[in-house]
Amino acid sequence: MKLKSLVTIAALTFTTATFAQEADAPLQISGSADAYYKYDFAKRPNIGTSFGSDHNSVSLGMLDLALKKTTGKASFVGELSFGPRGQYQSILNGDGNPSNSDNSFHIQNLYASYAFTDKFSMTAGYMGTFIGYEVIAPTGNFNYSTSYLFTNGPFQNAGIKGTYAFSDKVSLMVGLFNDWNVYQDFNGVSHVGAQLMVSPIEGWTAYLNVLSGTSNGATNGTVLDLTTSYQVTEKFKVGLNAADYSLDGGGGYGGGALYLQNAFTPGFALGVRGEMFTFKSTGPGTSKDIAAVTLSGNLKSGGLTFIPEIRFDNDSNSSFLKSDGLTATKNASQFSLAIVYAF
Amino acid sequence: MKSLLMSLSFLLFTVCSFAQEKPLPFDERGKLIYYEVVASNETPKDSLISRALAFLEADSKKFKISAIKGDTLVEATGKMLISKSALGMARPMGAVDYSFYTEVKAGKYRFWLTDFVFVSYMRDRYGNFVPETTIGIPLEREQGKLRVAEWVGYQKITAREAKAIADQFKTALATRIYTLQSKKPKNTISTKKW
Repeated sequence: MKLKSLVTIAALTFTTATFAQEADAPLQISGSADAYYKYDFAKRPNIGTSFGSDHNSVSLGMLDLALKKTTGKASFVGELSFGPRGQYQSILNGDGNPSNSDNSFHIQNLYASYAFTDKFSMTAGYMGTFIGYEVIAPTGNFNYSTSYLFTNGPFQNAGIKGTYAFSDKVSLMVGLFNDWNVYQDFNGVSHVGAQLMVSPIEGWTAYLNVLSGTSNGATNGTVLDLTTSYQVTEKFKVGLNAADYSLDGGGGYGGGALYLQNAFTPGFALGVRGEMFTFKSTGPGTSKDIAAVTLSGNLKSGGLTFIPEIRFDNDSNSSFLKSDGLTATKNASQFSLAIVYAF
Repeated sequence: MKSLLMSLSFLLFTVCSFAQEKPLPFDERGKLIYYEVVASNETPKDSLISRALAFLEADSKKFKISAIKGDTLVEATGKMLISKSALGMARPMGAVDYSFYTEVKAGKYRFWLTDFVFVSYMRDRYGNFVPETTIGIPLEREQGKLRVAEWVGYQKITAREAKAIADQFKTALATRIYTLQSKKPKNTISTKKW
């Protein structure tokens, strides 16, 4: 039998990357990747704020991938993260069950939204917190190191919330939330939160936030938070974050951070963050005041941002250590270089 | 006889390119502009203005009418989203705000898009893309070496989108595909006569 000659043509598959105006709300995929080098002048890790923790090492931040899809009035967002910053430094392993204690879910955001009207929408799922100025993804912060307010506040708030936009200038969010940062709430959904957004003039937006409830195994706590930023000119921006967290029976924290940023050119900006932070007393001699000043540069080219940074912290309780690892000191300082790529 | 079995496999390749587009020219103020004059002898001036208004009102998310001067000039503001797309996926890079003008005369009309300002977008804590700043950068402003390739890309997309808007606008003025909203409800039947 003659074999017929078969001509197999593999379909040509090619990828074209084109810029086009969004018309049908296709699936959005975005993300970031970051790495850093940090040198603490005490030759040991000293400053205990989140991320960038390794001393004298070229280290990983995280690889972050976010998917978003909108169909009509419904949308979903799923955000996965990998690496130290995206796993054990920002999200808990497992669901609180000891057998899952080494099992990271890698989930930073997983929620769905429905816009009932142009003004009212509801969202439910596991979400980045609405509290505070700084965020987990390095693309959302000017400075690479984080503030004490960020480190000690909530990272995620799973729950259900409704948002009503009275106008472009005023909106209100109210919701019920799990305990801070957990995938599963073991004492029931017991936190109530709200956010009032006001934008009095163009360029100025302020968020007044409150989150109150009793976490599993803890006393009732309430955090009040003000986050605001003002684009003063095309080049100069001012930001402010002030928060107070109080627990029944003592403890919590309070503080404020001021952010000043100036974009000298579209590719180069300098920013300084000044922070005053207090750990509230839980007993005699347990309160602690910390002041921190951070100077960061942002050099941008396309999606890449290079962040050189220097930071000075002062702790009233002398919780830092000198290079011998034994002698307490009030002062700590560090220098870092970070690369952050957003896509 | 054995027939030769021929298999052709094509190379998988990636093409990343910008199509050759005509760049936007500059006006007397040094601003980028898309400008066009269209002859329209068959349509009266009143109809042209009402069709222009209907076109702008048909998509309130894209256009906002800011002024109507006399019965000959309509001013509006617009916004076009700039996205990077590949394999059916996309993410917003930013938005370009612009001014839209149209003016009619007997026998012809003109329209122009100008005052293009680019506002970059960033991802917020919830994974949504939002404006990174409230003050945009005029699209004609020259950028530094680190950013020039990206900026030229934005200018090219804006030119292409302006052309697409212009084509839609001309079609709307020529064919009455947009009409001002009438108060009559849709899908009504009369039960009075039978």
